[in-house]
Amino acid sequence: MPGTLSPPQTAGKTLPAEDVQTSVSPDRPWITIVWNDPINLMSYVTHVFMTVFGYPKSKAEKLMLDVHHRGRAVVSSGTRERMELDVNTLHGYGLWATLQKQD
Amino acid sequence: MRVTRRRGHARIQLESVESGLLATLFDDLDGALQSLPDDDPVRQRLFPSAYRSDDEAAAEFRSLTEDSLRDVKTERLGECRAELPDGEGDVDLDDEGAQRWLTVLTDLRLAIGTRLDVSEDDDPAIDPSDPDAQLRAIYQWLTALQDSLVHAVMRG
Repeated sequence: MPGTLSPPQTAGKTLPAEDVQTSVSPDRPWITIVWNDPINLMSYVTHVFMTVFGYPKSKAEKLMLDVHHRGRAVVSSGTRERMELDVNTLHGYGLWATLQKQD
Repeated sequence: MRVTRRRGHARIQLESVESGLLATLFDDLDGALQSLPDDDPVRQRLFPSAYRSDDEAAAEFRSLTEDSLRDVKTERLGECRAELPDGEGDVDLDDEGAQRWLTVLTDLRLAIGTRLDVSEDDDPAIDPSDPDAQLRAIYQWLTALQDSLVHAVMRG
């Protein structure tokens, strides 16, 4: 994700200290992953996480930075049906999202 | 092109050449949505696989979702197309409209960026001898428009 013409100020150079991935538990066996891509803007990805999941800006930005720096981030977890809905929604926003069973 | 925000509305101010460019791009994207073959990289990026390592599940998911996703993308594209001024003018958007424009601009940038095979390391300076120089300039302009609109929306 480039910040291209006007890089957002939120694009810090350091990784967040704590693991900000959405927690997973045995009753939430499936996860939705968003993968890094070179086209979607950091500002837009943050905005989508806030809009789709209702995450506060701080959490949405941390997830976005995980996607950007680590190549992927787990953005939600739950039933397979729920994750398919999330993936479909994220595809509607143009994000590169997949679901899989939690490791 | 200028994006402003006032009283809960976002406004995109377009020059005549910019309105005309967007009209052409919207029409091109509409054609791409309807007619690109399955193995085209742009189509694969606009309709990505939902499963990375389960082809059967991916195919089933696609069969259940792709047609309706295409309908959604086509419908919102048509709405944005209808809002374009004829020549120089403004597009005034409430929150719902701004969200719609953001997703349509995303589809456009995904299509053009995939065609150009852009990477995060691309030099923002365009080489005038590059045969794709004009398309790269258009892509950068769309990026600037989208980034301005995202920030206008997030300011609330």
